[in-house]
Amino acid sequence: MGKTAYDGTPRHLLCKRIPTPPFGDWNDRHYVDYDEYVATGGYVALRKSLAQSPDAVTQEVKKAVVRGRGGAGFPAGVKWTFLPPVPEGKAPGDPGAERYLAVNADESEPGTFKDRLLMEFDPHQLLEGIAICCHACGLNKAYIFIRGEYYLQAERLERALAEAYEKGIFGEKCVQNSDANSGGGPRFRVDCYVHRGAGAYICGEETALLEAIEGKRGYPRIKPPFPAVEGLFGRPTVINNVETLCHLTLIMDEGAEAFMAQGVESTIGGPPSYGTKLMGMSGHVERPGCYEFELGIPLRLFVEEHCGGMRNGKAFKAAIPGGVSMGILGTDQYDAELDFDIGRKYDVLGLGTACPTVFDEDTDMVAVARNISRFYKHESCGQCTPCREGSGWLYQLLCRLTDGDARAKDLDLTLELAESMGSMPGTTICGLADGNNFAMRTIIQKFRSEFEAKLKPAFVTATVGAS
Amino acid sequence: MPTITINGVACEFTKGQMILQVAHANGLDIPSYCYHDGLTIVASCRICLGEAMAPNPRNEGKLEPYMGGKLFPTCQTAAVDGMVVNTDSTKAVANQKAVMEYLLINHPLDCPVCDQSGECLLQDYSFSYGRGASRFEEQKVKQPKKDVGPNILLYSDRCILCTRCVRFTREVTGTSELYVNGRGNKSEIDVFPGVALDNPLASNVIDLCPVGALLDKEFLFAQRVWFLRSTPSIDGITASGDNIWIEHNEGKVYRVKPRENLAINKWWITDEVRYGWKHVHAEHRLRSPMRRKHGALIEDDYKRAYEDTIAGLKKAVGGGKRLALLVSPNLTCEEAYALGTLAKLIDPQAVFGVGPVPFVGEDQTFPPGAAADDAKAFTVRAEKAPNARGVQRVLGAIGQMVLDADAFLARVKEPDIGAIVATGNYREDWATAEVLGAIDRAPGGGESRFVVLLDTHGTPLIDHADVVIPGATWTEKAGTFENAEKVLQAFEQAIPVIELAKTEGQIALDLIAEFHGTPGLADHRASVVIVDEQPGQVPQAVEVVAPRSRLFNAADIRTEMADRYPGLSAFATDVVLPSVDAEKVEGVEMVEL
Ligand SMILES: Cc1cc2nc3c(=O)[nH]c(=O)nc-3n(C[C@H](O)[C@H](O)[C@H](O)COP(=O)(O)O)c2cc1C
Ligand code: SF4
Ligand code: SF4
Ligand code: FES
Repeated sequence: MGKTAYDGTPRHLLCKRIPTPPFGDWNDRHYVDYDEYVATGGYVALRKSLAQSPDAVTQEVKKAVVRGRGGAGFPAGVKWTFLPPVPEGKAPGDPGAERYLAVNADESEPGTFKDRLLMEFDPHQLLEGIAICCHACGLNKAYIFIRGEYYLQAERLERALAEAYEKGIFGEKCVQNSDANSGGGPRFRVDCYVHRGAGAYICGEETALLEAIEGKRGYPRIKPPFPAVEGLFGRPTVINNVETLCHLTLIMDEGAEAFMAQGVESTIGGPPSYGTKLMGMSGHVERPGCYEFELGIPLRLFVEEHCGGMRNGKAFKAAIPGGVSMGILGTDQYDAELDFDIGRKYDVLGLGTACPTVFDEDTDMVAVARNISRFYKHESCGQCTPCREGSGWLYQLLCRLTDGDARAKDLDLTLELAESMGSMPGTTICGLADGNNFAMRTIIQKFRSEFEAKLKPAFVTATVGAS
Repeated sequence: MPTITINGVACEFTKGQMILQVAHANGLDIPSYCYHDGLTIVASCRICLGEAMAPNPRNEGKLEPYMGGKLFPTCQTAAVDGMVVNTDSTKAVANQKAVMEYLLINHPLDCPVCDQSGECLLQDYSFSYGRGASRFEEQKVKQPKKDVGPNILLYSDRCILCTRCVRFTREVTGTSELYVNGRGNKSEIDVFPGVALDNPLASNVIDLCPVGALLDKEFLFAQRVWFLRSTPSIDGITASGDNIWIEHNEGKVYRVKPRENLAINKWWITDEVRYGWKHVHAEHRLRSPMRRKHGALIEDDYKRAYEDTIAGLKKAVGGGKRLALLVSPNLTCEEAYALGTLAKLIDPQAVFGVGPVPFVGEDQTFPPGAAADDAKAFTVRAEKAPNARGVQRVLGAIGQMVLDADAFLARVKEPDIGAIVATGNYREDWATAEVLGAIDRAPGGGESRFVVLLDTHGTPLIDHADVVIPGATWTEKAGTFENAEKVLQAFEQAIPVIELAKTEGQIALDLIAEFHGTPGLADHRASVVIVDEQPGQVPQAVEVVAPRSRLFNAADIRTEMADRYPGLSAFATDVVLPSVDAEKVEGVEMVEL
């Protein structure tokens, strides 16, 4: 049983080789090459994993409850168990037994910048996580789908990948295919590729990502079939976020307990929030940037202790907990703990990427809403009618609201439109519309008076009496 | 059989069927735009959403809210035994209204000038599921009109992005000309620069498009669809036997559309069949009988044409010579029978032949590379005549031997042939040098013989005939065609026969009556034509009489065929009649216009 409140003492950092506040100075960051990675304890977890059966590795990860760091917070170990078994008598990669890993490095959620560090400075940690996942799930090819704008990061990944191929982590003579694989799992060749995106937010959605890797337009797929059964190229596929995979190194090196010793239990009877989390802070604070904390850190503590407080000594007004899709925390929710309970406790969609954006008292929330809705209008893939048409309409309404050109009925309509889209009510294919729904709805609900202040007066019926 | 309850109606289904499919099969309406029976399911328009209760096997099969009570697409959710689905619940109806409102906000609402108006799913669903008024006060997204192919225009601003057209070019033709360009509400359907939407099946996207975005250049502004009458028919252009609708008004064909037949053409037709009917209204249609008088062909009435024909034929055969009958592969089985019967009456040893069968290239299968026997593939036939097999079958059953066109043309050059009855009815000029060389009153300057020509269009062959009687295209008659797969399919008459022409079947019956000397063919139709008697005189209106014997009724002829010839019994049992459910919209009164 872990702790229930944040006490600020992480010992096992994901960023141990990437100096990151509060435990290091970001001016000291540099690219960690293979030799340095190995010299600082790298690829030990992979060798330990290979000494165990794939099932044992999956069980260990399942026990650690590594909740997905890509936004949805689904436990990785559980996700892996949805895969069908490798066909009898075949090894992964044999014809008819191809199985894939899609690594989500798209990181396009506004305000989110965490996977970037992991790839820019310590890519071998990600590659090790990938190799562990491939062993545990029997996957013979991994595709790292990286956001197109991450050019430097893609180059670094390619460089690390070349080293890894040379050192026998991947490729024909990979560890998975050697005597190091002594845990009784099948031996097979594991390959890894970097695939650069072309700059669409929607390609971070897991099934759109699969389409994009296949070279198609990034339209999210309808489910079922689920990717675990029919994913990339119609084969069983695991999709995980970069940070999620990086956490595997600690779990397989020091055991699930070491991971679980960090982070917090749920206080509302939900699943726990174990481990540390990279948190990219942006907005009106003195020192924005990417930090690493245990899950459960209260937002106020994060801002006041570590980010030097609100910028120019202003007062806190609102915050987005982790990417605009999550909705907004109101002025009275400054104490919200950044863990996976946040959705239910504070009426937002969830923790998301745990990269908060903080707004000070001078912020015009109507303008924030307008800005966010412009993002969704621009990024909707255009497949589902409610999202395609609704996001454009919402933006137009919000433009009128910001311009002071709207009436009360327009505000009600805005709210109604926002509520009519999303896969939570079931009206769309993917979660992008939910993000739009939550962002708009929570801003309007939590800051309604600001919207109302911008409305034009309603017409009054006047009766002119003739006496 | 498993059962599912949809909107209160218990429906049986087979495993694997989607809820929407079950509903449609049971005559229940669930609105749908992106779903089409012939395409993959994308579930993107979101108008078909419903709510359900489903039995939970882990809870003694008790009914529990399906998907946590969320709305889900009925087009993409397989029916489950015992499930109770509602697309008429408050939530589902609210979604239908929302989707309709969304679809219309950027739609130009230009129904008064839109060709689709009257057969548009946006109109229909606005009426049945929409909210009536729009709350949209902003600027609409404007999109261009595009010329996407030789036959097709795209009015992008009317498009609802159901992607049916895109899927068609990817899945059915495999040619992938269309794609979605852009994102969000700026998405538009487009072709790649320099690559037109031009394949043998291309124009099917016009029918697939649920709204007026993809339009037929031919039909553009030609007719409001509510003036059109539809007659179920069969492809009269190629041997594939595609099921079609002929849509016409006041005796004029306006367009041809596919009629669903899963065994033959599925939901599609080729552009060739769609646009191949132009010869029906061609300038050079034959409109009046002609006979040779003092060596020259003159237009005359039916009475004299019939008398000349029978007299000429009797004389030739009476002189100990043979009669040769050439039946065009464009005629119906019933007509082949009537003509064959006539020929045998005059000369029991008449020589039978099937007219030339045009071939263009080779059979083409779509998507390219699909095996021809692939149930999903669509084959474009190289054989460009509808009924070569049917004519062969009928003549074979009633005569001794049936020659193919080449053999027939060689045979009629022989001196023992005293008379030829030839039928044309081709879309294109069929009077090739070989035909002209063989079907002649005195081939190669040899012995003269009597030539009767039944044809629809004027060709040089007319000059080779003693009597010419104008025939009718397949749109103007009822009958049966046998397609390349040997399926016998009947069709109905869509438009009246042009002016004084008659169907070849009717002509054959009339001539039989004339042969028997049946007293007075009934003067069934009188028509007034203006005759310029002599140059310089005032034109005079003259009543021309078209005598007719027993009415040529295709169904009666089929019965007779089967009764008289055991070899033709298939015509009593195997003919596929057009099954047509007249679509009725409840609560809407139909008025005759
Ligand atoms: C519209 C949309 C955008 C998303 N973008 C990202 C992204 O950029 N990066 C990411 O890791 N996950 C993104 N996700 C979440 C993924 O769909 C998926 O949940 C995640 O990659 C699963 O990995 P995890 O379980 O390791 O978190 C997005 C989801 C949605 C609906
Ligand atoms: S919800 Fe929006 S982004 Fe997602 S699939 Fe539908 S249209 Fe595309
Ligand atoms: S053009 Fe027609 S068929 Fe194609 S996507 Fe638009 S509405 Fe659908
Ligand atoms: S018909 Fe079901 S979503 Fe379009």
